[in-house]
Amino acid sequence: MFSTKLQEKSRRDMLKLTAAGVFAPALSGWFPRLAKAAPAGGKGKAKSCILLWMDGGPSHKDTWDLKPESKGAGEFKPIKTAASGVEISEHLPKVAQVMNHGLVVRGMSSPEGAHPRAKYYLHTGFREGQGGIVYPSLGSIVSQEAGKSDSTMPNFVAIGGRSYGSGFLGPKHQPLLITDPNRGLEDLKSSVTAAQLGNRVGLLEQMDKAFHREYGADSITDHKTTYERAVKLMQSKEAKAFDLTGDETKAKYGSGRFAEGVCMARRLVEVGVPFVEVSLGGWDTHQDNFTRVKALSGQVDSAISALVSDLKDKGLLDSTLIVWMGEFGRTPNINNRGANPGRDHYPRAWSLAMFGGGLKGGQVFGKTDKEGASPEKKISVQDFLATVCELMGIDHTKKNETATGRPIQIVEKPQPFTKDVV
Amino acid sequence: MKFRPLALFALTAGLAVLVGDFTSIDAQEKAIKKSKKKIEAPETPTPAAPVAKPEVVKPVAPPVINVATPKAKDAAALAKVIDAEITKKLATAKLTASALSSDEEFLRRVSLDITGVIPSAEKAKAFIDDKSPDKRAKLIDELLADPRFGRRMADIWTAKLFPKDSGNRFVLKDPLYKWLEEEFNKNPGWDKFTTSMVSATGTVAENGAVTYFIANRSVDKLTDTTAQHFLGIQLQCAQCHNHPFTSWKQTEYWGMAAFYGKVKADNPKNANKGGDNTTIGVTEGPRQTKQKDFFPESAKTVPVKFLGGESPSLGAAEPYRPALAKWMTSPQNPFFAKALVNRTWAHLFGRGFVNPVDDMLPENSPTHPDLLAALAHHVSTTGEFDLKYLMKAICLSDTYQRTSKPTADNKNDKALYSHVAVKVLSPEQLYDSLAQVTGNSRVMDAKGAKGAANPKGGRIGGRDQFVNFFLAGADSTSALDYEAGIPQALKLMNSPIANNPAAVRAVTGNTSKPEDVIERIYLAALSRRPTADELKSLTAYATKTGAQTAYGDILWAVLNSSEFTLVR
Repeated sequence: MFSTKLQEKSRRDMLKLTAAGVFAPALSGWFPRLAKAAPAGGKGKAKSCILLWMDGGPSHKDTWDLKPESKGAGEFKPIKTAASGVEISEHLPKVAQVMNHGLVVRGMSSPEGAHPRAKYYLHTGFREGQGGIVYPSLGSIVSQEAGKSDSTMPNFVAIGGRSYGSGFLGPKHQPLLITDPNRGLEDLKSSVTAAQLGNRVGLLEQMDKAFHREYGADSITDHKTTYERAVKLMQSKEAKAFDLTGDETKAKYGSGRFAEGVCMARRLVEVGVPFVEVSLGGWDTHQDNFTRVKALSGQVDSAISALVSDLKDKGLLDSTLIVWMGEFGRTPNINNRGANPGRDHYPRAWSLAMFGGGLKGGQVFGKTDKEGASPEKKISVQDFLATVCELMGIDHTKKNETATGRPIQIVEKPQPFTKDVV
Repeated sequence: MKFRPLALFALTAGLAVLVGDFTSIDAQEKAIKKSKKKIEAPETPTPAAPVAKPEVVKPVAPPVINVATPKAKDAAALAKVIDAEITKKLATAKLTASALSSDEEFLRRVSLDITGVIPSAEKAKAFIDDKSPDKRAKLIDELLADPRFGRRMADIWTAKLFPKDSGNRFVLKDPLYKWLEEEFNKNPGWDKFTTSMVSATGTVAENGAVTYFIANRSVDKLTDTTAQHFLGIQLQCAQCHNHPFTSWKQTEYWGMAAFYGKVKADNPKNANKGGDNTTIGVTEGPRQTKQKDFFPESAKTVPVKFLGGESPSLGAAEPYRPALAKWMTSPQNPFFAKALVNRTWAHLFGRGFVNPVDDMLPENSPTHPDLLAALAHHVSTTGEFDLKYLMKAICLSDTYQRTSKPTADNKNDKALYSHVAVKVLSPEQLYDSLAQVTGNSRVMDAKGAKGAANPKGGRIGGRDQFVNFFLAGADSTSALDYEAGIPQALKLMNSPIANNPAAVRAVTGNTSKPEDVIERIYLAALSRRPTADELKSLTAYATKTGAQTAYGDILWAVLNSSEFTLVR
């Protein structure tokens, strides 16, 4: 059973074996997926996912799950939406108008209450440090399972703020990071003229060819492939998706980096990027909760409503899943610290929202009690991640292997709720 | 599909015990943690099996040494032993060995392997033109005495001993890095090095080695990392269930973990609130530490026991770690010396006798078992665990000094050393080499390096930024696979790194003849002179394009070439 030789197979060897029909593993990233079969999930309509990451843990009782009659009701009032029976915060009035395309999930529940560990958990579905493995985040999973390895564009873009990476799936599924959407993709433009760049690339090709002729190592070929892709990206029209200059829709999304990021996300989805994550920080409202959540809701309101309507106009809403979430909710009661109190971390019950992506729309899934303190039936992070996978046609029971050959299921023990929401 | 009893591993993921939170962040988070049990009982798996009586342990048979090694420390003689064994295997496999490397190839390779940076143009020229027959041996000695050896090793070992973990965001990395750098340069012997590390006590300011305990603050993490990096074995499977491939039982795991039971490692303080993390540290008290977060929920209380060995009888008040260190570093230890040899071999060849290097299970057999056993025996006895001596011996061997050019018949050989594998520069090697060529100690601007203003927190300099960008979230990059992606290629092509007129001037100096300028660029970046063909075509290019533009273009192409980013 033990074969040291097999154990030592590198990714490249795996690729060769796959080409020979020996294995049919998931091949990563930029390599051609020689053995790609029809997606195992099959039923999913969504081809792309935009994750709107609300960093800090947004207050569920002040956004999607208002409890006006409860003890810690807070200042905000619920309003009616385009979906009958679905009520959300008064500070999301434009989102309310597109709620017929949306789904609110109430009663999410998770075990991590500290920011870094909770962020890791929500992105990967695993606890940080578990089993000594670094797990891939949702974006990297989508990149591996639904990404196009031969595409000029990257399969996972993260805008504004750090994201969680590919873990054991390896560097090919790392997100391409955009720190400031207004500046676009860093180093995309050459510092010399196209003609001079052509000369330079010509010299480079000559050098690499000579080196390869003598040494013949696979790493030389891989280096060449990466450079070819990078040059192709520099020259491609798709890469214009990174450039917001002159985008006439931009203003609708609001102002600031988040708005710009969401606008860029739409442009990226238009050219086929399967996963884009955009971060909006500031939700850790231990103090001054209501002023801050109101301001943040304003940013979310413009961006989501513009995104949903633009995608709809372009016929892309059904194939694009939008997810709004953070690392946990906030306490049902208002704390009594200082002049402007707030709410503290609360992973036991919280909400997230989704739009498009083949969802039925205009629905609420799950429920919390009258205080918004505990879920009627817990919806786990695994349930949610598996549902996202199914909506995207990804088989979440598939096992990917770590470098030392440990098979890890994409989502462990989930009870997806897809059938309830499509 | 692949090689292992998969079901057991699949189990691990589900069973893996949750280490829980270990850093107090602020009052709110503390409150959450306190009430966490009430809020939500995490689905803690039932322990796989209750701890039963101590295992009956078969004594480990003393290793059989089939290959004679020198009776005294003699690197040249040890190199011959290596060559004889490698040649024997090649003959059995009917493979021819490639020729010896050229001076240029050897110089660049050995400089990068030992000091982590390519030689300067001057050094390259001097070495290539040196006619003395022992110049390679002299170079090896010179490089091992270079303080940049310590930096190279500290780069490698910091990544292993300081995990990227949110719990470590306030832990200072620099004191560990500096300690490692100094120790590797001092070269006290791997046994003494390991003992200092495993039994470290004091504050971070007094003894950087204690950082190891602060950055791996729980008995299970310490057990896993110590076993992985110093003994070359993966024990973590045995944390939750009996190890699927060996006789190691869960009790065996917790018997090893028990050696850390008396360690008190301070929690890092919140640097954002003015916490000073140089004053925290590690002590080892007379009894079990009271720090609850130092033990995972699944921890089993068993007596201290050496892996596959005896349960030492230690006095109640005696510290445990020195006993662990003594067992680990004994020449009789079945893992320690082999792990050192395998790692050092992998450092120089890109692969070990056993791969992965930290998974030296009995079932994972070495490519050259006799040579591994002989080297381990020699280095742990006569060789005094002298790391520089071991490296020197390997670097002196023909096996190491062969070219990376394969022949028609040996080109598919990856494991028998018929030719030396082409390696990929690590992010640190790439940064330092780019800086060396362009005369710029800060290749990338440390823009937005807010850590720089905060000496108590993590310091992010230009080198760290560059390295992190190229690591792209990983702990380290592959030695043999080119893994950099498009963002990294874009950075090298289009950022000022390879587009800096000052860098062109730094390389070309006052030289003006195109042939001389091109030669300088090649010597500086590739440690060789251009071939006649290269010189001809590049001189023609300079004439056609205009000298200054052409030199910038040529330097750009050289710095982006596979020959630069790879090590032949």
